[in-house]
Amino acid sequence: MELQNEITVSVRINGTQFTAAAAPEESLLEFLRTRAMVMDVKCGCNKGDCGTCTLILDGQPVKSCLVLVAQANSKEVWTVKGMALDPLMQALQESFATHGAIQCGFCTPGMLVTARSLLADCPQPDRAAIKEALSGNLCRCTGYKKIVDAVAAVAACQASARVQGGRCRVWKQQ
Amino acid sequence: MSSFAYAVPGTKDEALALLNELGSGARIVAGCTNVLPDIRAKKIAACTLVDISKLAELKGIDVRGDRVIIGSLTTINELLHSDLVASHGQVLWQVGRRFADPLTRNRATIGGNLANASPAGDGVVPLLALEAKVIVASLAAEREIPVAEFLTGPGRSALQPNELIVGVSFTKTTAMRSVFIKFGMRKSMAISLASIGLMVGLDGDRVEQVRIALGALAPTAIRARQTEDYLTGKPLAPEVVTRAQEIIRTEAKPISDVRASREYRVHLAGVLLKRALEAALA
Amino acid sequence: METTVVDEGLTKIDACHKAQETTIIGKRRPKIDAWPKAKGTTIYADDFTMPGMLHAKVLRSKYPAAMILAIDTGKAEALPGVHAVLTCKDVPNNNLRAKFGQSTDVGSNFEGLYRVLAESKVRFMGEAVALVAAESLKIAEEALDLIKVDYEPLPGVFDPIEALKPGAYRVGESESNVVSRFKVRKGDVEAGFAAADVIVENTYRVPFGDHAYLEPESGVAWVDEDEVINIRVSTQVIEHFRTVAEVVGLPQNRIRVIGTWLGGGFGGKEDITVESFLALLTLKTGRPVKLTYTREESLLAHGKRHPYIMKYKTGATRDGRLVALEAELISDAGAYTYLTPWILLYSTVNAAGPYNIPNVKVDTVSALTNNPFTSANRGFGAVQPNVAYESQIDELARVLGMGPLTIRQKNCLRQGDSLATNFKFDRYVAVAEAAEKAWQALGPVPESQDKNIRIGHGLAVGMMSYGRLTFLHDSSRCFIKLELDGSVVVRCGVQDLGGGQASTLCEIVSEELGIPLEKIKIYIADTALTPLAGTTTATRMLYMSGNATLKTARELKQRLLTKAEAMLGARAADLQIANECIVNPVDPEQQITLKEAIDACATDGIELFYEGQFNAPFTEVPTSEIISGPTFADFTFGCHAVEVAVDVDTGAVDVRKLIACFDVGKAINVLNVEGQLEGGAIYNMGYALTEDLIVEKGYLKTPSFSEYLIATSVDVPDVETIMIESGAGLGPYGAKGVGEPADNSIAPAILNAICDAVGVRITTMPATPERVFWAMQEQQQKSRQ
Repeated sequence: MELQNEITVSVRINGTQFTAAAAPEESLLEFLRTRAMVMDVKCGCNKGDCGTCTLILDGQPVKSCLVLVAQANSKEVWTVKGMALDPLMQALQESFATHGAIQCGFCTPGMLVTARSLLADCPQPDRAAIKEALSGNLCRCTGYKKIVDAVAAVAACQASARVQGGRCRVWKQQ
Repeated sequence: MSSFAYAVPGTKDEALALLNELGSGARIVAGCTNVLPDIRAKKIAACTLVDISKLAELKGIDVRGDRVIIGSLTTINELLHSDLVASHGQVLWQVGRRFADPLTRNRATIGGNLANASPAGDGVVPLLALEAKVIVASLAAEREIPVAEFLTGPGRSALQPNELIVGVSFTKTTAMRSVFIKFGMRKSMAISLASIGLMVGLDGDRVEQVRIALGALAPTAIRARQTEDYLTGKPLAPEVVTRAQEIIRTEAKPISDVRASREYRVHLAGVLLKRALEAALA
Repeated sequence: METTVVDEGLTKIDACHKAQETTIIGKRRPKIDAWPKAKGTTIYADDFTMPGMLHAKVLRSKYPAAMILAIDTGKAEALPGVHAVLTCKDVPNNNLRAKFGQSTDVGSNFEGLYRVLAESKVRFMGEAVALVAAESLKIAEEALDLIKVDYEPLPGVFDPIEALKPGAYRVGESESNVVSRFKVRKGDVEAGFAAADVIVENTYRVPFGDHAYLEPESGVAWVDEDEVINIRVSTQVIEHFRTVAEVVGLPQNRIRVIGTWLGGGFGGKEDITVESFLALLTLKTGRPVKLTYTREESLLAHGKRHPYIMKYKTGATRDGRLVALEAELISDAGAYTYLTPWILLYSTVNAAGPYNIPNVKVDTVSALTNNPFTSANRGFGAVQPNVAYESQIDELARVLGMGPLTIRQKNCLRQGDSLATNFKFDRYVAVAEAAEKAWQALGPVPESQDKNIRIGHGLAVGMMSYGRLTFLHDSSRCFIKLELDGSVVVRCGVQDLGGGQASTLCEIVSEELGIPLEKIKIYIADTALTPLAGTTTATRMLYMSGNATLKTARELKQRLLTKAEAMLGARAADLQIANECIVNPVDPEQQITLKEAIDACATDGIELFYEGQFNAPFTEVPTSEIISGPTFADFTFGCHAVEVAVDVDTGAVDVRKLIACFDVGKAINVLNVEGQLEGGAIYNMGYALTEDLIVEKGYLKTPSFSEYLIATSVDVPDVETIMIESGAGLGPYGAKGVGEPADNSIAPAILNAICDAVGVRITTMPATPERVFWAMQEQQQKSRQ
């Protein structure tokens, strides 16, 4: 078994393959911000307490500061910027803006990624379910109400559009 | 050059061989929700990170006979979405929604929660109540350790440096009612000030059998055996519950820390017991 | 006027100015920075990198009080990849007076020591001792471990009351531990209390608070080809460039600070954070340098909200009239002065609250300790006494058997009344109206559905100034330029914290010049290129820069109308400007496009740009300890009403309903104002319940967001906002500032609701479950005896 003091990691980031050397103990967050220069993933605490670094890995929202980058090798990662063409993400982005869900904006990329996962998984959550789903993403500015409003508005819109039933666990680029 | 090294075994045997070779120079990593913060806080010194996340043998939830076997790499979110766990190990399923936060639950594994052996670890409390056994493998052998024996102190377990947690198993328990209650300083991303996992078999309001596990109330998660003994065979009348609360408060041996005092945690032990019993009766 | 929540859903921004009567002001509108933030394209301080950039780290003291006997940087300097290791001896000007952009010299009573790096005597744990710049963050971290500092620990002093005693440990080298003392004297409190039928006395303690903005302190600095030091930084005060110039010994025009969109500020980025460190390191290395604090470092190293000990004695007659108030406030300044004197002055003026009390005696004092230094935090000294005076009046109501609304209505300030400091309110004072509306919105107390849960209602009013202390002689500037294609450039040195500061200025320009927001581009927060607008602090940005922008826009509007007058043969006074047209509403034939007017101005050499300055009222620097007369331009008044559910078994408090009612003067953008009111309420809900920065003997016991607990989405109620739009503000269109006042009265409202629910008065915050539980136990024991 090979022990490596430096590893090579290849991650598909927002649809584009990116390969770079990394340290064994490096997190996915560090790798994205310092090597791949993916800056829409924020670092608020670097220990899993705030959720600003949330992204999609293996089709699930995760805190990227708690992921060893080696474990993302050969996997797919999506951040808010990579979902720019996704209709559900676009609907959420617009809803966040029009509902005043964005103040300083530092939690917004992570919040949007989590919210998108929720609505892909569960198209018609009630307010309590929205709050529960967002409860790993801190926001210091808004008091959360307008964020929940924004997600609820998209859910209501989805309900009328009746996109699809069932569970959608893996996010795919639209 | 990093002072850490990384190895990613492809099979369980490869992993075990590596652990055998590296001894205490190895650190097993899976979900990493505790390991990465500990590395940053320099609580984990230079070592080889042995990444077991690729080991298929450590995944999945199965029923074999009357036993439920959960692979150590099973995430908390997977537990939460498992019908098997919901019906055969309900108290473990109940923990799911109170564990850390939805994002962390996508990464944190049940094996990691055991290995971390935090007195406040929410995942181990239901396993204690389920009288689960930790399945531990080394190159030489595989052994099963009851969770109560596996946890030896705060952050300490019976796991040897050459061993790997393969999974946990417990007997199907459909006949008992289960309750898990956690008390923290907030409703999400909270570290338990106290938690309780209760499994109780009732005949009317009479306790036929009961298992009570407590979290954050002693150097490890513990079973409240004296309280269990007292309750067994008794009806859950108010005076019985009150007496049981008194007993459980003597069994709790928590610490004072920045989050709460010892006295308050002792008090919480009684409150959580009462509420768990009430919930079981409801 | 009450606002109702209009759900705009997913509709695009409606095309503005469709109808003549439709204006920009007063609508619910996404702010200009919402879109890039939603897309993830906003470049925050740490998102910015430069070629050849080095990474910096700060070595911080391990001890709260110690002598530094020696520092050996040799090994760190020898580490490959290290480019600079700096200690205090490398700082050209290491000790200076902390300034905050004020244009007047306010004297040493109101300005404290700003020290860049620790010298011989360490004053707090986490004080910066040395700086490193290296090729990578990892090397910089390694270098920190190689710097050897010989400390000799000193006893220190950690309690402001101890620090004030004669012979107490001296925190500084020479100065006394006393930072400031102020007094208010009105009437005769002895006589007042003699005439009182009931007297309530309590001592309140409020904790250290952290801002907990999600973006830690960060910046990048570089020396450009003109040898100007550029610092791109997350700050509320770009005007710290003057202090940085002094630190490095360069003229002020050689330091350029570029403020980024902040990932939250709340007062915590009002002091200098990384700027001086970056300037020193980039100057030394000639390379761009980045410095970003870790969360743990942020919690350790920036100023906290002041803990206060507040002794209050309040007397009232049987019919509920307040007759006397005596208050003694002691604040913990921590290790350095920073903004402590100003904050203490706010507390002094606010100590008696928005009430008519004939006899008032207030004594305030602040002391240095070896705790983390304390400085600005949303609420700036108005927050702490609000906890005390609103708890006191609630207790009086309880003793008198009077409703919480009634006692407040009976005593609160109204237009024409004065503060105990003799500041007279010539404009509408909304305390009574806000209290009534909030209390009504709360409705009746519902019956508890759970035997362990007691439900209670609480009310608290509050007041807070907007705009800086008037002796600081505050001003702001804005530059507007009309482009030939009819688009607009606005330049204003405003720092945007996320409250819509920049967007609001665009909305004012859009309203005044009839130009759609899409055609307006604003440049902000650059000391070299944007007119200085002062600090984004003190709830001053809308008031000050809003007025500067309004003044500037109106000047340009006048020029356009004057030109149109000549072109249309109409009187300027009859013309209106809207929808990119200038039109006479009575004779729509008389109409030209804005672009035609701009073309005509350009052809005739009429200046299509203007820079306007707005000055706040100026007063003299107080020379006496006794504070009297105007210290602020105006106040914002509001009220919080809450419903709590208290778990009698555990003491856990759940806020189930939260009403925030404020006189905002005029809502420029309803979404932004609601955002401030909602966010402010939740910000200090944490202060009341969960946020406790615990410092034991100078050591921080809550080093991360696992211990310092701000609310998550499942911990909060949906805040209901009620806006009163009195038009009585000094800001544009009669607006008042709301950013800080929004968080004021929520904490005492929660404490009052807890008392209503379970009958215990929590006097030490935060009201953690444990604290509430033991208070209930104590109460039960007392009632048994």
